Amino acid sequence: MATIRGCNLPEDLFYNIEKHVWAKTLDGGVLRVGMTSVAGKLAGGKLNAVTVKAKNIGQEIKQAKSLATVESSKFVGPVPIPVSGIVLRANEKLAADPNIAISDPYGEGWIAEIQPTAWDAEQGALVSGADGVAKYQAKLEAENISCD
Amino acid sequence: MADDKVMIVMTSGPDTPHRCATPFFFATLAASMDYDVTMFFTIDGTVLLKKGVADTVFPKPGAKPVGEFLRGALEAGVKFLACTASTELNDIDLNDLIPEVKMVGGATMWQIAEECKTVMTF
Repeated sequence: MATIRGCNLPEDLFYNIEKHVWAKTLDGGVLRVGMTSVAGKLAGGKLNAVTVKAKNIGQEIKQAKSLATVESSKFVGPVPIPVSGIVLRANEKLAADPNIAISDPYGEGWIAEIQPTAWDAEQGALVSGADGVAKYQAKLEAENISCD
Repeated sequence: MADDKVMIVMTSGPDTPHRCATPFFFATLAASMDYDVTMFFTIDGTVLLKKGVADTVFPKPGAKPVGEFLRGALEAGVKFLACTASTELNDIDLNDLIPEVKMVGGATMWQIAEECKTVMTF
C-alpha cells in the first residue's frame, strides 16, 4: 500500500497510468479492473453513474477502448479497458451506489471482470510494483495532480 | 470500434440557457460509449456555434458555461454539423462560426438520420 500525493496506489496492482485504470489478476487468468483513486479525483465530486454498456458483456473490447462510462456533475468520460479482453461481468453494486468507485476503488468499487485476450503482448503497457507506483508518482508530480 | 451511429438535433440556443448543456453532455457520454456521434445544429442551436457565444451562456448561474460542455464534446470526438438555412435565419456570417463545424443542408440531416439507430432532439 502506498499513498502518493494523497492518492492510494497499492503496489500489487497493474496500472495504466495514462488512463488511470488498474487491473488485478484473479484465479483462472481473469482480470478485475477499475479506475484508480486518481481517476476518482479527476472526475470530481459525487458520481451520478458508472455504467458498463450491457451489450459489451460477453464481447471483446480492445485495449484502451471504452469499458465503462463515468458521469459526475463535473465530468463525463470513458473508463478505458487496461488490456484487451472479453467482458465477463460488471460490478452490479455500482448501479446502487456509483460512488463506491471513488470511496473504495480497489475493493467494492471495481468496475468489471474480463478475460484478457492478449495479456502477454499487452501487459508491457502497464506498470506494477514499487517501480510502477514510482512511475505513477512521477506522472502525478509532472501534472501537479493531488488527491488531497 | 465506434459502431452504432446516433444523432442529437440541437435546436436550443442562448435564449434558453438551461437547455444548452445537457445535449453536449449526452453527446460526450455517447462518444465515451463508443457510439459514432453527430450533433446537428439548427434553429437557435446554430447561434451557440458563433465564436465566443457558448462561453457567455450559463445553464446554471455560477456554474461552468456551455462552452466547456461544447469543447468536451469535440474532444470526445463528436462531429458538429450545422444547417445552412439556420445561419440565414439568425443572420450569422459563416466566418463567425467555430472552425470545427461543417455546414450542410437539411437533406444531409435526413440521410444521417436514416443511418442512425437513435436520433434525439433538444
